[in-house]
Amino acid sequence: MKIKKRIPAYYWRRASQLACLALFFFLFIRTDYSGSDTIEYAVNVLFRIDPLLALSASVATGFFIVQMLPAVVTLLLTLILGRFFCGWVCPMGTLLDGCHKIVPSKGQGREGRYRALKFYILGFLLVGAWFGLPLAGYVDPFSILVRSLALAVDPALNALATTFFTSTYQQAPAWVNGLTEPLYAFLKATILPFNQKYYDLALLSLAILLVVFLLERLERRFFCRNICPLGAMLAVTARFSLLRGRAGTKCGTCRNCQDVCRMGAIDEERNISPLDCNLCLDCIHHCPGNKISFQFSSLQQVRPSFALSRRSFVGSLALGAALPFFLKSRTLARQSDPLLIRPPGALSEEEFVGRCVRCGECMKVCIGNGLQPAFLQGGVEGMFSPILKARTGYCEYNCTLCGQVCPTGAIKNLDVAEKKKVKIGNACFDLDLCLPYAKGIPCMVCEEHCPTPDKAIKFREVEVENSRREKVTVKQPYLVDELCVGCGICETKCPLPGASAVLVTSAGESRNPAQALPYTSRTGYP
Amino acid sequence: MDRREFLRQVALWSAGLSAGVPHFRIGATLAAERQPSLLTHATGKDYQELVDRVLGPLGGMGKFVRRGDKVVVKPNIGWDRNPDQAANTHPQVVRALVERALDAGAGEVLVFDRTCNEERRCYINSGMEDALVGIKDKRLKFFHPDDRKYVPVDIERGKAVRRLEIYRDALEADSYINVPVAKHHGLSRLTLGLKNSMGVLGGNRGVMHHSLGQKLADLATVIQPKLTVIDATRILLNNGPQGGNLADVRVLDTLVASTDPVAADAYATTLFGLKPEEIESTVAAYGLGLGEMELTKIRIIKA
Repeated sequence: MKIKKRIPAYYWRRASQLACLALFFFLFIRTDYSGSDTIEYAVNVLFRIDPLLALSASVATGFFIVQMLPAVVTLLLTLILGRFFCGWVCPMGTLLDGCHKIVPSKGQGREGRYRALKFYILGFLLVGAWFGLPLAGYVDPFSILVRSLALAVDPALNALATTFFTSTYQQAPAWVNGLTEPLYAFLKATILPFNQKYYDLALLSLAILLVVFLLERLERRFFCRNICPLGAMLAVTARFSLLRGRAGTKCGTCRNCQDVCRMGAIDEERNISPLDCNLCLDCIHHCPGNKISFQFSSLQQVRPSFALSRRSFVGSLALGAALPFFLKSRTLARQSDPLLIRPPGALSEEEFVGRCVRCGECMKVCIGNGLQPAFLQGGVEGMFSPILKARTGYCEYNCTLCGQVCPTGAIKNLDVAEKKKVKIGNACFDLDLCLPYAKGIPCMVCEEHCPTPDKAIKFREVEVENSRREKVTVKQPYLVDELCVGCGICETKCPLPGASAVLVTSAGESRNPAQALPYTSRTGYP
Repeated sequence: MDRREFLRQVALWSAGLSAGVPHFRIGATLAAERQPSLLTHATGKDYQELVDRVLGPLGGMGKFVRRGDKVVVKPNIGWDRNPDQAANTHPQVVRALVERALDAGAGEVLVFDRTCNEERRCYINSGMEDALVGIKDKRLKFFHPDDRKYVPVDIERGKAVRRLEIYRDALEADSYINVPVAKHHGLSRLTLGLKNSMGVLGGNRGVMHHSLGQKLADLATVIQPKLTVIDATRILLNNGPQGGNLADVRVLDTLVASTDPVAADAYATTLFGLKPEEIESTVAAYGLGLGEMELTKIRIIKA
């Protein structure tokens, strides 16, 4: 006789985790130019279901951001199911679970010493966002994950593949290449990025992710239990959730459920706290007496409670309210950094930083490799937000992908015609470096690449003395401010070694009228 | 040194077996020994048929492609611009040439360009991908250049440049067919066939602009197309080389073809109302004996 075996409940959870993770990686890889001007789907959907980022960006801007509407669904589901999101959906959680064997935890962390920390962080972030210090993107799990994948892991993976397949291409005999070259072509067509990209803060982004993983040494899901402000927000919601785990009471000395609980959600009396339980369902499987069940009920008493210290909580709120005012005492508050060049469609600086969740998608999708994470150009509150670094890469004239993938609309989703009207900066020439000026050597690579149909870089033919004191006629470039969009291709392509002789600054950027340039056309120039 | 020895050096360097940079010092045929340069041009609306017309008097594609040859068809796909904007070679012209080369029994036909704008955008928006995807022939390879395949080459006959990184397939091609688009260029006034060869260069190509005319001629000592077909179906008169404004475009429906790369450039220059001697690269290449620039000495056939 065949015995029908029931599929253990946690199998479903694992399946969901794997499916969500696969979907996540698929979307991540697809966050790229695909041969069409419009990108159909990108990893930005992940951020739009994130209620922490929805709330903090909305608080920072002062109204609800419509793009983030799906986040409400997450909250509603949490009201019913509890913190299922952390256990069944979150790709960061899945990766942490997956690396459990590689980074084994020392203890169970039953005492929950740091458990309240995430609530303080949440309070600090939201109050900070309100008063002008929007930092949610620093610690949001999706931001940490996508940012480090985009800025560090993805380019490193490509570098690894390129190095390996270059060595086989150059060193290995033909029959090896017969195997490796098709493999390389396959990888390039599937998981590898189209070309090698380079990013500032790559190591810092990676380090933050590594710390999240290394914290697993202290206890399982340390980040989720103690730090994750999204987890905190879901925990607050889950306090009222309908689906509750109920454990046995008269089960003697067995502590299996406590031992396997990855969230440390089960106390000595085997109460399962909805604040922590992420519904992984492992405890059901490990309970020898089959005493654990999950049922819908609204009458359950919540135990343990938040366990917050009132003093600490008020302190964190006060910090969030006070710190922003220190920002106003910086020189940056008076004069912004001229190299703070924002992507086309970026909102005014304050609103932009408020909405930007530091996910790094715009930088990943930037086909010119021009967008880079800011370090301190926009202040501490602007770290990891995108700026154009025109020596590394430029803004492709016909491309509008950054605005399409921005989950919060910090970069407006402009169509191509609108985008071409946006000026993000202005080029200027360093005449001590620029060859036709400084050395009498012909060049004009900047003019060649200038993409506006009526070129913003024009030239005059001038007779000059070169370094050998010979009279030569050269074409010297100059800029028509009205035509320049600040794309930076001139700075990228300037063939000089080291510093470019063309520099793009944020002068004249159309999002900030205070930066307006004195256009020649307004002063009587024909 | 003959061609076989040069290709051996390229192969050895690529395989990491030789640290010595390949030398290129294969001379051009002396002007006295050469037949007078033959050039054809034709005008018409059907660009595929136009290709056949200009190739006819030159002996047809079979003259340039033998059975089993490795053929490179090198268009200009440098810019993220559409076909009407005249910044890239017209895709129908390229398609016709590729098909003729395949018909002639080519072993493989390679089409590529190192672009100035983002690679994929250029290949797609130039219309090239659409035009070539229809050719269902495994011998056609339309691809983005692979960074690993640029080979440094010492240019022994170069006057302004001594070493360049050149794409391996371009060096190894049995038949190299250059298909530039004729258009305005700020620095060099026009970009034609010789300038189009910059699409096979690796490294920092911007430095070519310091003494562009001579450097293009130096490059032309190595990259010697068997056939040059200049696309003047529509030409860009201003704001080149990438244009973007249709007011700068003039439709000529014309193709120019020649076995002599210098003659092709020289004749195409006249389409802009300029004289061959006004283009530095033409003069420099003529000076190196790479071809004829005096229009009176070129046999020009209207096909």
